[in-house]
Amino acid sequence: MSELLIEIKDLECRIDDQKILQGLNLKINKGEVHAIMGPNGSGKSTLSSVLAGNDNYEVTNGSINFLGEEISEMSPEERSWKGMFLAFQYPVEIPGVSNINFLRTALNERNKFYGIDSIPAKEFLKMVAEKSELVGLNNKLKNRSVNEGFSGGEKKRNEIFQMAMLDPKLSILDETDSGLDIDALKIVANGVNKLKSSENATVVITHYQRLLDYIVPDFVHVLHEGKIIKTGDKSLALELEKKGYDWLKTDSNI
Amino acid sequence: MIIKELNHNSLLKENSKLDLENLNLGSFPTRKEERWRYTPLRALKKINFHNQLNFKIENLNSLEIPKIEGLVIVLENGKFNSDLSNLIDLKEIELSFDKENVISKSSDETKHKDYFTNLNFSFLSEKVVLKIKANFNIDKPINFVNIISSDKCLSNTQFNIEVFENSKLHIRQYFLGSSTSNNGFINHRNEVLLKSNSSLTIDKFQDLNNNFNFCNEFIDQEKESEFIMNTFSASGIILRNDVSNNVHGKNCHSELNGVFAPIDKQHFDNHTTINHFVADCKSFENYKGVIKESGVGVFNGKVIVHQDAQKIEAFQKNNNILLDEDSKIFSKPELEIYADDVRCSHGSTTGRFDEEALFYLRTRGISVKKSLELMTLGFINEVIEKSTDLEYKEFILKRLLKD
Repeated sequence: MSELLIEIKDLECRIDDQKILQGLNLKINKGEVHAIMGPNGSGKSTLSSVLAGNDNYEVTNGSINFLGEEISEMSPEERSWKGMFLAFQYPVEIPGVSNINFLRTALNERNKFYGIDSIPAKEFLKMVAEKSELVGLNNKLKNRSVNEGFSGGEKKRNEIFQMAMLDPKLSILDETDSGLDIDALKIVANGVNKLKSSENATVVITHYQRLLDYIVPDFVHVLHEGKIIKTGDKSLALELEKKGYDWLKTDSNI
Repeated sequence: MIIKELNHNSLLKENSKLDLENLNLGSFPTRKEERWRYTPLRALKKINFHNQLNFKIENLNSLEIPKIEGLVIVLENGKFNSDLSNLIDLKEIELSFDKENVISKSSDETKHKDYFTNLNFSFLSEKVVLKIKANFNIDKPINFVNIISSDKCLSNTQFNIEVFENSKLHIRQYFLGSSTSNNGFINHRNEVLLKSNSSLTIDKFQDLNNNFNFCNEFIDQEKESEFIMNTFSASGIILRNDVSNNVHGKNCHSELNGVFAPIDKQHFDNHTTINHFVADCKSFENYKGVIKESGVGVFNGKVIVHQDAQKIEAFQKNNNILLDEDSKIFSKPELEIYADDVRCSHGSTTGRFDEEALFYLRTRGISVKKSLELMTLGFINEVIEKSTDLEYKEFILKRLLKD
């Protein structure tokens, strides 16, 4: 029997005076892959930011229950410790901070939260070697400053590498396919698929059906004006590819 | 500033006409002077200093510094402390404590110079002279530790360094205030002479706690010499560094770097002047300010390329991060160029940490405090990484980040 991972109920949020999410409902069980699609400005990236805890957005109504706990007031770092992960659409460059130092700090901060000793250097490096292989991340990039001077594809691989290191329960991939050529897309998708288990779940946010050829979703949701207006299986994505979104928008307006 | 309870002996040896009520050192600096415009000295002025020079520290381990090896010269409250020092005999080095010169240099020579130079010469209590003979390369750093450990103690000290032809030296200077002393003041002067084709690196670390430290520094470079100074300012009520780097010979390399991290109303001021008197030299300046919780930073760097000093390459930069709205930085990079064939640039930036970067780190499970620390580390790393000694580097970082 599948176990509930996250339940979002009637979620409303705004940034400044603009309402973005307007009563969003979504349930995700462990072991599932969900795709969220939708036209520009429908609230896809907002959803990922709100789930990760970006306080630029104010949650005005509804709830986010993650592993039995209400998290809408929780700090981003605590959400991470509990198993939330967001792969950014635009990964941020952190000059002067090496990728390795950054990841070691991340793991140790989590260990500290759970009262576990810092990870020994040898064990950490072994883990880095294993996990970076998953997405074929160049050795040199591991020692360079976080994302600084990385190509678009390298940045996205680095996101999946971080995901592998942190081993989250819920991974949200925000437009991870944008800016990737087909070879890089395959590598990234392959990495994501290898990390999939019956204990975790993945949310793929994307504009295009293309990525879903490689990361096959169990559910496809269409987001429009801050609400999910249609849910289907992977065939919905193919239908959207052919017909666009307009027919759904008209439907929902009725 | 009022100085009382002055050490009787030193008073007698000094100019007997010296009147305590009127120190006759020239007018006390005010913010009306450009050089002191951003550094008010109220906090210093209201203290009744003394210069009774006693020892309190029993062991260097009681101070928060890493174990220091090799030659160690320790001054405490303005006097040489032989118990804390380790004067190993190095054949390449001539070390002397210039008792005679302490007095003789007073009034005449120092007239017209600034107040704190006058104060230093007039009440000088210890002058250390270190010479490295020609044609030696000393890898291990020579350590100079200058401690203030007595409340309201005024310590006037000098350190003269001469590096002779073709020799190379590395010096670490520690200016420390013990955590139990308040309102002490180290008014120090460094004089450096670099003979031709010599090289000197000074790592200077200032951790004064609740005390003051001013350093007046004069560096003269002869041809083909190299001078590098890295100044790390971690704590103190007011820290002021006044560096004059005078390049007299061709093909010299001069480098002034610094990280200053004032916090909680501390005020750290770096004034630098690099004088390029002759052609074909290079100078680099890189100061980083990390300022938080009502801290105040000042950077005023001046590069002067004198007439006919052609083919000079001089680069100066000052980057600052303000961690909150109560913190301040006054940054004034200056270039004065009187030659026409030079490559010079200067620049200053002041900003905050990127909110998006902070959010990114937090989504990876790194707390706000640790994220800011990590970004600070990234910001100052460019200067810190110039030190190759891992233990020293970690120590400096820890104190600068106040971890």
